[in-house]
Amino acid sequence: MKKILIAAVISALPAFAFAQQNNIGTCGWGSKLFDGQSGIAPQVLGVTTNNSTGNQTFAITTGTSGCTQDGVVKSTWKTAMFIDGNKDRLARDMSIGNGETLDSLAHLIGVREEDRATFNRVVQANVSLIFPSGSTTGDSVVALKQVLRSDRELSQYAASI
Amino acid sequence: MPFRPRPWRAILCLLCLLCLFGPCVAEAAPYVDQLIGRSRELRLSERREWHRLMHYTSNLITPGVHSLADARRFFLAPDGKTNPQSELEATLAAFFSDVQETDKEQNPQCAFVARYSWLDRELGFDPAQLPKQPCKRFREWRETLNPQGVTLIFPAASLNNPGSMYGHTLLRIDAKDQDEKTRLLAYAINYAANTDETNGIAFAINGLFGGYPGMFSMMPYYLKVREYNDMENRDIWEYELNLSPEEIDRVLMHVWELGPIYFDYYFFDENCSYYLLELLEAARPDLDLTSDFRWWAIPSDTVREVVRQKDLVKRTVYRPSNFTVIHYRLELMSPEEQSLVSSMSRGRASASDPGFAGLTPSAQARVLEVSHDYLSYLRATGSNPVADPAELSRTLLLERSRIGASGNDPPVPVPEVRPDQGHGTSRVSIGGGRRDGLNFVELRVRPTYHDLMDPEAGYVRGAQIEFFDLAVRDYSNGIGTRVEELTPLRIVSIAPRNAFFQPLSWKIDTGWSRRRLENGSEPLVFNVHGGPGLAWSVPDTLRSSTLIYGFVESTLQADTRLEHNYALGIGPRIGALLDLTGRWRAEAYAYEQSFFAGDTDRSWNVGLRQRYTLDRDWALRFDISRERQEKQSWNTVLLSLHYYF
Repeated sequence: MKKILIAAVISALPAFAFAQQNNIGTCGWGSKLFDGQSGIAPQVLGVTTNNSTGNQTFAITTGTSGCTQDGVVKSTWKTAMFIDGNKDRLARDMSIGNGETLDSLAHLIGVREEDRATFNRVVQANVSLIFPSGSTTGDSVVALKQVLRSDRELSQYAASI
Repeated sequence: MPFRPRPWRAILCLLCLLCLFGPCVAEAAPYVDQLIGRSRELRLSERREWHRLMHYTSNLITPGVHSLADARRFFLAPDGKTNPQSELEATLAAFFSDVQETDKEQNPQCAFVARYSWLDRELGFDPAQLPKQPCKRFREWRETLNPQGVTLIFPAASLNNPGSMYGHTLLRIDAKDQDEKTRLLAYAINYAANTDETNGIAFAINGLFGGYPGMFSMMPYYLKVREYNDMENRDIWEYELNLSPEEIDRVLMHVWELGPIYFDYYFFDENCSYYLLELLEAARPDLDLTSDFRWWAIPSDTVREVVRQKDLVKRTVYRPSNFTVIHYRLELMSPEEQSLVSSMSRGRASASDPGFAGLTPSAQARVLEVSHDYLSYLRATGSNPVADPAELSRTLLLERSRIGASGNDPPVPVPEVRPDQGHGTSRVSIGGGRRDGLNFVELRVRPTYHDLMDPEAGYVRGAQIEFFDLAVRDYSNGIGTRVEELTPLRIVSIAPRNAFFQPLSWKIDTGWSRRRLENGSEPLVFNVHGGPGLAWSVPDTLRSSTLIYGFVESTLQADTRLEHNYALGIGPRIGALLDLTGRWRAEAYAYEQSFFAGDTDRSWNVGLRQRYTLDRDWALRFDISRERQEKQSWNTVLLSLHYYF
């Protein structure tokens, strides 16, 4: 019942509200996940080319740029950008109820040690809401916030997302 | 005396003035001049610390030094790139600037915060005369990083990509509030060529000749883990360094200083790994890491150099790739579980499948997890099994979230030998043998890197990459001394296939080797050679003892002594690599080339190669073969001793 309620609350929210309000569009990692290269040509060429990862990097002293300041992610964006950069792994860890990516998220949100077990259980139970079909990072951030808010013990952490 | 000569008065006055105000005048000499004077007395510009901070390196021919930095803004003196003294003085002068920090501009004290810190320590700046700038941006940046340690990150080679054995290195800044479970949140510092070039050939050529600016940049470590572990399926080795808080601060200050600076990027020497060593040297000036890499800095060799330093590495952590984890967990599964993974990850079976429903919750969890990971692997390698893999992935995870039990698999065991603990990457060999009735002595030099018969510990199974392999033989009579072969590039990737992984093996090499002609002469002929193949492991495990393979290879030879000046051939190769013991490896092979165009011929070669590892850096080889070219057949036997360094 509680699940349905949360689902209702989330679906009532305009999906783009968070994204628009905070402009996550320009903030993501421009995720190149699942953009894999196969075949022989890239491998042969890879031989003499040290890896360069172009668009995912930040120059260190360029001042404010998008969601970073001098190369580090601004604190208001830490959680959203972490979710954006780890979506697949995070969904995996949440569905299992533990893992490094989930631990890191809990740390980022500031979940205390004594609440970790609850946190892991609650996100595992709600993984379908946090990662709905075809979800964007914005959707997931909003949903995670709602899921935490709806839990008595975890509601205190909703504000830090 | 009525008359007093004026000059006396003048001199007297001057003396009085000097007496009264002299000390004041001396003190009023600008503070900057005092600092410069003191820096000259202390000969600061000759100090190792200054040279490290400025990246000065000795000139090749002429006396003197030049800085490797190529950005004009790194130097405050017009001749700063080549003159340590004038750069130091200009730096001191610049610290008096009253430029206020903005989002785009910094005061020199902040932009060159590492130089400021060192010069302040050596000269003891008087804050009353040289006001200290707040450097808010640097301070906030440092607070965000909250450093507690520095770790050298080395992504190991990926399977079926021998070139990746050369690797890449980066640094990670570990924060105080992180632990083993939250290391993903650390920041990584990466040095790479800054370019949008997508044409691999243009990228390679420009990179060889320093055509791109190399720059430091930073990003959260999780992006790098996703990139290497999940996208490229490379295991990551982390080397935690033993640096003091001051040394860590010096790394950060220097990174900050180098943030907007570029260096011309050269793939082979002034590359990612070289500059990370320079950073570590700036942190601890008495380290000497770079001098061995003036010409050739292979990332994996730079890791060895760091490990070799006394007490520099605190501990190492192994982070297996998605591929390694899947492979390991599949090995632990029953055949039924494996076949469920195969069908569920391709959307051909669901949780309602009776075979799945009959499993224990723990086995169900394991099957779903591995199915998901395998689907991710397929997506990352560009072979989506279904139209909407994201939705299938989601379905698998939702099923998994309904199971309370854990998959309960033990973690992937850490390999016994790290990449930095394998044999040295350069090799010299001396041997003796007999070929076609003639005795010979052979000397072979291979500057880098690894071949299939070299001791495998620390390397990727089935991967071979060699540059500039040269063999010279001295025959007892008739022929005399001659170059037997020179191969600038040789790559072989033998990647075993199974139900889950179907990589294509491949090989390519180019160079000069001996070819027999009809008249019996053996000119050194240029050739390009290679082709695709298939391989299997028996038994099918990551560290199995036998690899069998088959290739279809073609050869193009070009030489004026050939009929029509060229020869084009194609033919099969089959073989098996077998580890008889941990030290003893044998490879049997048979190979045929039918040269159907140009100088036609049908040649073949069968042989047995054996290697016995004596020590990490010593191995013995014994090769026998029989080959046929231009209707003439002969045997070759070679016993050789290999030394790696």
